[in-house]
Amino acid sequence: MPFAKIIAAALATLTLGLPSARALDMVPLPDLAGREIVAVTENAYVPLNFADPATGEGIGFEYDLFNEIAKRLNAKVDWQLSSWDVMIQAVRDGQFEVGMDGITINDERKNLIDFSDSYLTSQQLMLVRADETRFTDAATFAPDENLLIGAQAGTTNFYVAVYNVLDGKEDNPRIKLFDTFGTSVAALQAGDVDTVLMDQTSANGYIGANPGAFKVVGGPLGTEDFGFILTPGSDLLEPVNAALAQIKADGTMDSLLQKWFYEYNAAQ
Amino acid sequence: MTYIPRKPSVLSRLPWWLLTIALLFVMAGWAIYSNGTYSQIFNALRGGIFTTIWVTAVAFTAATLIGLLVALARTSGNRILREVATFYVEIIRGIPVLVFLFYVAFVAAPAMVVAVNWLLQPFGTTITIRQFDFAWRAIVALTVCYSAFIAEIFRAGIEAVDRGQLEAARSLGLSRWKCFRLVTFPQALRTILPPLANDFVSMIKDSALVSALGVQDITQLGKVYSSGTFLFFETYNVVAFLYLSMTITLSLLVRLLERYLRENRH
Repeated sequence: MPFAKIIAAALATLTLGLPSARALDMVPLPDLAGREIVAVTENAYVPLNFADPATGEGIGFEYDLFNEIAKRLNAKVDWQLSSWDVMIQAVRDGQFEVGMDGITINDERKNLIDFSDSYLTSQQLMLVRADETRFTDAATFAPDENLLIGAQAGTTNFYVAVYNVLDGKEDNPRIKLFDTFGTSVAALQAGDVDTVLMDQTSANGYIGANPGAFKVVGGPLGTEDFGFILTPGSDLLEPVNAALAQIKADGTMDSLLQKWFYEYNAAQ
Repeated sequence: MTYIPRKPSVLSRLPWWLLTIALLFVMAGWAIYSNGTYSQIFNALRGGIFTTIWVTAVAFTAATLIGLLVALARTSGNRILREVATFYVEIIRGIPVLVFLFYVAFVAAPAMVVAVNWLLQPFGTTITIRQFDFAWRAIVALTVCYSAFIAEIFRAGIEAVDRGQLEAARSLGLSRWKCFRLVTFPQALRTILPPLANDFVSMIKDSALVSALGVQDITQLGKVYSSGTFLFFETYNVVAFLYLSMTITLSLLVRLLERYLRENRH
């Protein structure tokens, strides 16, 4: 009901003379009365969720965002860790109530779990070895049968590689699958594959940590939306979406994006 | 030319492989102590050492107990017990540990929760899948996998004991159980201990597979640290060093144990 919200905000601004961002807080959010939400992530996706190299503490954009959501709903978060391989299944089983790991919203996954509204839109770039000259973007990469892509099974970079770079066949032998993101980049460096798709932040991280080893070519490929995953039928879906909408509207989201995507430098 | 055997020099008798390992250890220890990056990685992975040891120790203890029972069933006079135990060993040994880990985590564990809840029905309480965390599922998987290997070690040891020993004990009027406890088993232990200790060393290495479930062991913390800092080379150097410090220490202890058993035959 964004229209009603705008009206309410406008009315509040008119009658009380408050700045409109404050007025949005007037739209009451559900009160979860101190409930504990069991949330899960992996700590392996800079800058969304990762272990602080100095302390080992889990930090990142998703931590901050979900803690903020819980705070506004008067709930506490019990943070748990699992691996990406088992996260969707474990949330589906109800072992964890909410999962987050830069998980792209798609129809295939909607059959397994519930998605919140999108909290981040990410674009994929082509990371290549610094001395790469055989191709300059997806269009010049696709025709050459000898060029290979490294990806993680069932992840965003896999789907973008299939549908935006290659021919839309998921069993295309030009895609080499790896267990983790890191191993696919190690394979790129070793020459086993010729490109790995990743978002700008990860690309900057790898380029910064390995000077002279990598570069980015071409423009952004497929964009995808990240959402929180929830156990099917979860009563948290609506409260989380309501709090998320408020966070987007009042500028908190912008400051979180600023903090993790511009100010935080992963490869220090 | 007649061959005159020379007295071996001190140099040729030194265990050079061991000295090389010791040197590598000193160098790695120095790097962790003096290099900022390496000491930070070491601190990040330190928490995983306890998890790795704990998971391995619990799983190995349980696997040894189950393995002993299965080996007794394998060597018992009862046909049904023998058949069931053989079936168990053959099935379990034929499944890769990693596959079994996923199987336990997502097929067996939910089924167990359902079964336990069915048993708890009269008491009006229930348990949820959440109370059965990944670390315990990993321990169950490692336990079952290794119990099959360990059962075979026990069986080989029991069958290696001279039959005459058993016949003599039986003729003295000892019961079957007393025969096993007082005659067969103490002698079998000599054959059993070294391969059993070696299995403990391989379990430490196989415990790295629990990282597939996100259990925070050395390997998982290495995966997490390297993806956060992009320092794959340095991180896995430390990961390898941590595993080696455990496995090599234990391998040396196994050598000493074997030597001790050889020298104290009677």
